[in-house]
Amino acid sequence: MRQLFKQRLVIHLKEMMKYLRLVFNDYFVLALLFMIGGLGYYYSNVLKTLHTGLWWAPIVAIAILLVSVQLGRFATLVEDPDYVFLFPQEAAFFAYLKRAFHYSLGLAIAVQVLFWVLLMPFVQVTMQTTATDLYLLLATLIILKVTWLNTDFARKYRLNNRLLSNHFLFRFLIPVVSISLSIYLNYWLGLALAIVALGISYYSRRNWSRYPIDWKVMIDDENSRMHTVYQFFNLFTDVPMLQGSIRRRRYLDGILGRIKLIPKNTYLYLYAHGIIRDNEMSGLYFRLMVIGTVFLVFVKGEILPIFLSLLFVYLIGFQLIPFYFHFSDNVFVHVYPITDQYQMKSFQRVLLYMLSIVSLIFAIAVIAVNFSSLMTVVGVIVAEALEIWAFVYLYIPRRLARSERTR
Amino acid sequence: MTLEISNLVGGYSQVPVLKDVSFDVKDGELVGLIGLNGAGKSTTINHIIGLLTPFKGTIKINGTSLTDDVKKYKEQIAYIPEQPIVYKELTLKEHLEMTMLAYNLDQDAAWKRAHQLLKLFRLDNKLDWFPDNFSKGMRQKVMIVCAFLTDAKLFIIDEPFLGLDPLAVNDLLNLISERKKQGASILMSTHVLDTAQRYCDRFVLLHDGQVRTEGTIEELRQAFPNAGESLNDIYLTLAREGDAS
Repeated sequence: MRQLFKQRLVIHLKEMMKYLRLVFNDYFVLALLFMIGGLGYYYSNVLKTLHTGLWWAPIVAIAILLVSVQLGRFATLVEDPDYVFLFPQEAAFFAYLKRAFHYSLGLAIAVQVLFWVLLMPFVQVTMQTTATDLYLLLATLIILKVTWLNTDFARKYRLNNRLLSNHFLFRFLIPVVSISLSIYLNYWLGLALAIVALGISYYSRRNWSRYPIDWKVMIDDENSRMHTVYQFFNLFTDVPMLQGSIRRRRYLDGILGRIKLIPKNTYLYLYAHGIIRDNEMSGLYFRLMVIGTVFLVFVKGEILPIFLSLLFVYLIGFQLIPFYFHFSDNVFVHVYPITDQYQMKSFQRVLLYMLSIVSLIFAIAVIAVNFSSLMTVVGVIVAEALEIWAFVYLYIPRRLARSERTR
Repeated sequence: MTLEISNLVGGYSQVPVLKDVSFDVKDGELVGLIGLNGAGKSTTINHIIGLLTPFKGTIKINGTSLTDDVKKYKEQIAYIPEQPIVYKELTLKEHLEMTMLAYNLDQDAAWKRAHQLLKLFRLDNKLDWFPDNFSKGMRQKVMIVCAFLTDAKLFIIDEPFLGLDPLAVNDLLNLISERKKQGASILMSTHVLDTAQRYCDRFVLLHDGQVRTEGTIEELRQAFPNAGESLNDIYLTLAREGDAS
C-alpha cells in the first residue's frame, strides 16, 4: 500500500511538472515578474501610509489568515476504479492514506508559511508585536491546518463521529476564534486553543482503520480537488482532462446568427459557437475580464494603468491560444472538404472580436478613473489597438506554427 | 469506379497494420467490409477518410487521390463513424448547418432534405437540443442524417447497426439502397453478417491486415465449397482457418 502511494505520487508529480512547465513558459514568466514587481511596489507604498491602531487592520489580518488556513485539501490521489479494485485491501488502505496525509500536510504547511511571510510586514506596521508573537502565530496557523486536514482525513471513513464531522467547527469556527484570540488578546492563548483542537481531532485516529472507508466521498473529494487543480492549469494551457460543460446562452444567438453560411466560414462557425458556449473557455475569459477591470478601477496614474491594461489583454489573448486546436480531435473537421487556410483566418477573426471587447471595457475603466490625464486617455486607446493588431496578426501565426510542429 | 485502393500499406505508427490491401467499390455498389476485431477495418476506413497517411500504395476516389486535390477528394466522401462523435457545443440544428456549410450545400434544398430525414428518424422535434446529451442510438441517427444530407458519391459507414432501433436500421438500409440507385457507392463495415448478406453486393474479408478474399456471396460459395451456405458460415470457417495458420 505504501508502494502504491509512492507510485501514484510519482505519476501525479510527473503530471504536475508537465503542467507547471507549460504554465511557466517563455513570456508568462516575464509577465509574472512584472506583476510581482508591481504588486510588491504597490504593497510597500501602501505600508508607508499605515500606522498602528487602525481599527480595520486586525480584521484584514484575520480574514487573510483564515483564507490561508482553508487552502490545501487532503490529496488522496485515489482514482475512480479504486473502489472496485482496492476494496479487498480496505484495512491496509489506512497506511496508504497516512502517506497521502503527510504529503498533503507538507504542501499545506508551505502555503501557511508563505502567507505568514507575506502578512508579516503588515502586522508589524499596524500592530504592536514582538518576534516571539509572530512565531507563535505561525505555529498556531500550522496547527490549525493540521487539524483541518485531519478532519478531512476523518471524513474518508464512516466513523459516525458527530464531533469530527463538524466541518464548520474545525474548519471555520476554531480557526476564527483562535486567530482572533491571538491578535486581540494573547498569542499563547490562540496557540493553546489550536492545540486542544488538534488533540481532539487526533484522539481516535489510531482506530480509524477498523471502520469502513466511504469510497464515494473519497473519490468525489479527490475528483473535485483535481478538477480545481486542472482549472488552475487551464488558465495557462489546454487541459485535456477538463471536459468543460456547455451552456446554451440563447441570448447570444444574435451574434452567432450573423455568421454567413459559406464554406470558408466553417471554422469561424465552429470557433464562435465553441468559445461562446464552452464554459471552460468563456468562464476563463469572463473571470480574467472582471479581475482586470477591478484592478484598473483601483489604479490611478499615467503610465501604470496603460501598462496593466496591456498586460491583461495579453494574458487573456494568451489563454485563448489553445482553443485553436479545440476541434482537431473531432474527426469531422478532417473529413469536411475544406482546406485549412481558412482555419487561421477564422481563428484570428474570433480573437480579434474577443480581444476588442475586453480592450473596450478596459479602456472605459481606465478612462473613467483617469479622465483628467489626456495622455492616459489617448495612450490607452492607441496602445491597446496596437497590441491587439500585433498579437493577432504577428504573434498568433508564428506561435501557432510552432505549436503545430510540436504537437 | 468510385473507390480504388491499391497496394495500401499503412497504420498508426511505424508498424504497419495493413499489409498490401487492394480492393475497389464500383459506382452504385454496396460493399461490406468484414473482419474480426483488430483485422484492420477501422484502419482501412481511417486511411480512406484521410485521417491516416498511407506508407505505400494509393487510394483514389473517382480517379482523384488525397495528394492530388484535398478538396475534390473529400467533397465526395460522407462518413458515419462507429462511435457517434458530436460537438459538445452545437445543437442538432447547428450540426446540420455545420454539414451544409462544410459541404457547401444549397441551404433551401438541404433543409428540405434535412426535414425529411429528421422526420424519418423521429428527431424533428429535437432541433434545439444538444446531441451530446442524446443516447448512443440517437447520436448515431444524427450522424446518419448529417451524412445523408450531403451529395457524397462515396459513403463510408463504420458498423452502423449497433445501438439503432430496428425501425431505424430498416430506414437506414432503405436510404442506402436509394443512394445506390442514384449511383453512389457505399463501403460499410459490420459484424451483423445476416443483414450484410441480404444487402451487400460484394464482400471484402479482411484478416490480419490483408484481404483474405473478396467477391459476391455466390463467388465466395464457389471459392470455399466446404465452408457452408451463409456468409456467417463461410466467414466463421475462414476466420478459424486464419487463426490456425
